[in-house]
Amino acid sequence: MKVAKNFKTLMQKREVTLIILIVILTAVVTFRAPGFIKINNISRILNDTSILMIVAIGQFFVILTGGIDLSVGSIIAFSGMAASMMNQYNPALPVVLVLLAGIVIGAVLGAINGVLVTFGKVPPIITTLGTMSIYRGFTFVLSRGQWVTAHEMSENYMNIPHGHFIGISNLIWSAVIVVVLTYYFSKYTRSGREVYAIGGNKTAAHFVGVSKPKVDMIIFSLSGLLCGLAGVMWTARYAAAVNETAAGFELQTVAACVLGGVSVAGGSGGIPGVVLGALFLGIINNALPVVNLSPFFQMFIQGVVVLLAMFVNTLMGKRQEKSVLKRRCS
Amino acid sequence: MKKLLILMMAMVLAGGFVFAGGQQEAKGADEPLKLVLLVKSLGNGFFEAYADGGKEAAKELGNVESIYMGPSTSTAEGQIEIIETLIAQRVDGIAISANDRDALIPVAKKAMKAGIKVISFDSGISLGGRTVDLVPSESELIGRQQVQLIAELCNYKGEVGIVSATSQATNQNLWIEWMFKEIEKPEYKNMKLVEVVYGDDAADKSYREAVGLMQKYPKLAGIISPTTIGVLASAKAIEDEGKQGVVQLTGLGLPSEMQHYIENGTCVQMALWNPIDLGYSSTFILEALVTGKVEGKPGDVIKAGRMGDIVIGEDGLSVMGAPFVFNKDNIAKFAAMFYELF
Amino acid sequence: MSDTVLKLENITKFFPGIKALDGIHLNIRPGEVHALIGENGAGKSTLVKILTGVYFPTSGKISYKGEDVSFKTAIEAQEAGITAIHQEASMFPELSVTENIYMGHHLKGGKIGALSWRQMKKQTASLLNRMELDINPDTLVKNLGVAQRHMVEIAKALSIDADVVIMDEPTSALTLREVEDLYKIVRQLKAEGKAIIFISHKFDEIFEICDYFTVLRDGKYIGEGRVADHNIDEIVTMMVGRSLDQMYPKSDVEKGDEILKLDNLSSDGVFKNISFNLCRGEILGFFGLVGAGRTEVMRAIFGIDKITSGDLTLRGKRFRPHSAKDAMRQQIAYVPEDRQSQGVILEMSIAKNITLPQIDDLSTFGFLHSKKEKEISVEYGSMMEIKAASWNVDADTLSGGNQQKVVLAKWLSTKPEILILDEPTKGIDVATKAAVHKFVSDLASKGLAVIMVSSELPEILGMSDRVIVMHEGEITAEYSRDEADSDRIIRAATGHAWAEGS
Repeated sequence: MKVAKNFKTLMQKREVTLIILIVILTAVVTFRAPGFIKINNISRILNDTSILMIVAIGQFFVILTGGIDLSVGSIIAFSGMAASMMNQYNPALPVVLVLLAGIVIGAVLGAINGVLVTFGKVPPIITTLGTMSIYRGFTFVLSRGQWVTAHEMSENYMNIPHGHFIGISNLIWSAVIVVVLTYYFSKYTRSGREVYAIGGNKTAAHFVGVSKPKVDMIIFSLSGLLCGLAGVMWTARYAAAVNETAAGFELQTVAACVLGGVSVAGGSGGIPGVVLGALFLGIINNALPVVNLSPFFQMFIQGVVVLLAMFVNTLMGKRQEKSVLKRRCS
Repeated sequence: MKKLLILMMAMVLAGGFVFAGGQQEAKGADEPLKLVLLVKSLGNGFFEAYADGGKEAAKELGNVESIYMGPSTSTAEGQIEIIETLIAQRVDGIAISANDRDALIPVAKKAMKAGIKVISFDSGISLGGRTVDLVPSESELIGRQQVQLIAELCNYKGEVGIVSATSQATNQNLWIEWMFKEIEKPEYKNMKLVEVVYGDDAADKSYREAVGLMQKYPKLAGIISPTTIGVLASAKAIEDEGKQGVVQLTGLGLPSEMQHYIENGTCVQMALWNPIDLGYSSTFILEALVTGKVEGKPGDVIKAGRMGDIVIGEDGLSVMGAPFVFNKDNIAKFAAMFYELF
Repeated sequence: MSDTVLKLENITKFFPGIKALDGIHLNIRPGEVHALIGENGAGKSTLVKILTGVYFPTSGKISYKGEDVSFKTAIEAQEAGITAIHQEASMFPELSVTENIYMGHHLKGGKIGALSWRQMKKQTASLLNRMELDINPDTLVKNLGVAQRHMVEIAKALSIDADVVIMDEPTSALTLREVEDLYKIVRQLKAEGKAIIFISHKFDEIFEICDYFTVLRDGKYIGEGRVADHNIDEIVTMMVGRSLDQMYPKSDVEKGDEILKLDNLSSDGVFKNISFNLCRGEILGFFGLVGAGRTEVMRAIFGIDKITSGDLTLRGKRFRPHSAKDAMRQQIAYVPEDRQSQGVILEMSIAKNITLPQIDDLSTFGFLHSKKEKEISVEYGSMMEIKAASWNVDADTLSGGNQQKVVLAKWLSTKPEILILDEPTKGIDVATKAAVHKFVSDLASKGLAVIMVSSELPEILGMSDRVIVMHEGEITAEYSRDEADSDRIIRAATGHAWAEGS
């Protein structure tokens, strides 16, 4: 009896519904393309999803406060371009420094967003809509419209995401580290708690002395920092720093968050959900090219699957509400 | 960099005024013909290669001075201003790569009225605003050549996939249509174009689609990607999947960006119109028009040095030829040319 | 007078987590003003929403003019002739008075069904005229004052040729003179044979204008009767469900030393020259109408709102808070008025809510001490007798009363010496209310200094050692527990304190 009840409450968690959806999706795809669950393909998918995961986590914290960061794609492009050019002109520079520089550049651009939101009193959606274009513009100015490609990158640079440690690529490791650290941040630090408080109820948070400017600065810088990391990874992975890098990526990160049960109104959601949401999108992205499907249907299918997942999520949410009612009326 | 541009502009203009000054005096019989190559904007390696072609042609023709000009940003307004100056300077001919196919018509007409020969190249001006429009290549030539290139690489057998840009890209779709027509020829009877996938000109999507192709068709022999980001991402995907030499790659790409993959053999050969040839041919056409060798009517044939005969077709359109093929032997030279000068 | 126009039988309404209404009966007759009496949270507003088609009852029967009806939308109810003047003005500030009045039931003219603004403007003018209001029909509502807006809201209700007019606390934002105007309109409607449902918890109003009453408590039907046949005590007992002693268990406490003193504290345009003192062990009641500036004074003491002049003295030392943190460091706690929007964080667990004000102290280098956190939340959560499955469930799964207990626990855990409560029992059930009063009284007897802002007169009278009354940003009266009575306080709150001739 107790076990049954526990099972029921487990089923109502978004993370669990997502895991089930991921299993179903994988099963369906594997049925059509048997190679899909082979080890090397799984590592391929994880590699491909890592960047989305990293950036979606940054986006998650911003959405958690009720904001949104539309500039993530542009920050990725700029920091990726900057790091690539740094490598291009100083191939001897240790890539660790280049990686760090990319991260710092991203964090600075994120902090600029934070300053505009905090001191400029411009709502995040407007601020980042503006900086989305500005940072993209910076990228063009920096690169003079040129690309940095494999020929101009050092082997070490291109190896940043590709290098392995106990059989797992650095790219996946970096996502794992980001996930673990941000999970800890969200759960066990004062600032993490304050992010939730601001998102849950700005006024109530203000009344207990939580500083919104401080929280905004933290989350936008964090989002930028993660974009900086993603930018280096992106350009090194595809061996190409182009000006259009990650255009439109912001929507994917928002989708990953929402899929993961993050409320766009702020205040609720967690890292595990975002990770699973990103994974879900990553699997769709990788599954669509291998199942025999007209490319003209791909976008359609992608939209349908995402909506379907959301629908299942809200359905589960409703059931949860009802069970609360039952519990309280009894 | 901006400063440098302004400086260059100033130098070009100053030079122009000097010319204009000289122009007032009677034009000597042996004075060289002034043929201008007007590009979309300055500071682009691709455009600068036009100038090299123009100079090459001028040297061969003798008695021709090739002048390279362009606005600092790619706007029609900037080009109009420059054409106005050129009219005042009474140059002999202008070849324009236009920023707007219609906006330049009035000023181009004015130039023609003033006795200057006007043609367009690469990015054309609409009919009425030029005598001849030199098209770098045409869909049929491009499409057929892509199949020929991949066929050479995989010994005329095996499955080939195409990584295109967006599913709506008109030029890509036309080229792909011609690829399908070309592969029906008997010499390709052991080859098959299995699928067209779309990378939307985004590195991540193109990469994913290329990987998808290799997974879906384990016996895949080659990939054609007639788009710059597509061919770049496909090359990276082939490398990462460890399929160099197993899956061949060709496409349309910029030499400077593909140098790495051409040199390491991931992509043995690929094509693109050669900007040098464009500048070279344009200058030959202008010279023929200015000297009255031809009038620019349909059917006229211009002898263009190493490029052979250029035929003027309907509406003054003429096609330069199949795209230029880049491989290990010439890539370094062209890559260097495509790099920016500073 | 005898035939019923609107009859409700056994109406029940469930919300997720709450049984809002349970077996409600109501008989509304034409030409009669029917008082719907109950404390906040008794279910009055829910009932109004069912009558006006905003909510749909879970079960029960509504008959209107002899026929069974079920209104699916507000428009349907309006078309049938039931109209409501809502508690919080539901106006469109960017539209004109005329547009607001006819929103939802535009007059159409001509063949193509275009809106006839001329017609609507004419009727608005005559309606405003009938109500003796000096308002231009073209004025944008955002340019009107609070009272004028309320009158427009009333005009809106009357623009429909309604048979049943529901007034949900219509006087809460009005001055005495405006209340008189409202009574005039109510009497006029009554004479026209309309049925009026009058919702109020102010007894003076009920005895002044109402003929009949129905009492609700905790979503249940309690009783009904003719106003003339009952006295206040009888109705209050029905409403509260227990004797006044149980409801307001105030124990007598020796006043301690002065802890807080305000001297001519002012904030431009909000309040001015506020002076009072507060002692340990004392409960200081703050009464006033909505917008009197009570909340703003409290927010200023707590460092949230700006102070432009005047002095605050805390424990004998000058004190000027610049942020909530400053005030918290001085052991001041502020339980804000609106629990849902200012107090509790619904998406957070009970435990996290409780420890939120102290996360600075509960962390080293930004890392939280989970164990200590848990101890604190369990200690204060149990002290407040919060009913929940676990300390880790989110606050939004709790009832309003338990949410309020979470907010109280949160602030008590900071071990305050001054506790400011702003409408501490608004919208919570009677049992929790009594419990909250008991806690507050106990805390005060242990030496805590309490300021209690409340708009509920019985609560103010029942709980305060001293009462300060504010009107339009100024203190108009101060009474000791013995001096305070409802008449005096109401007069002071409406700006008539000194008319007593005292």
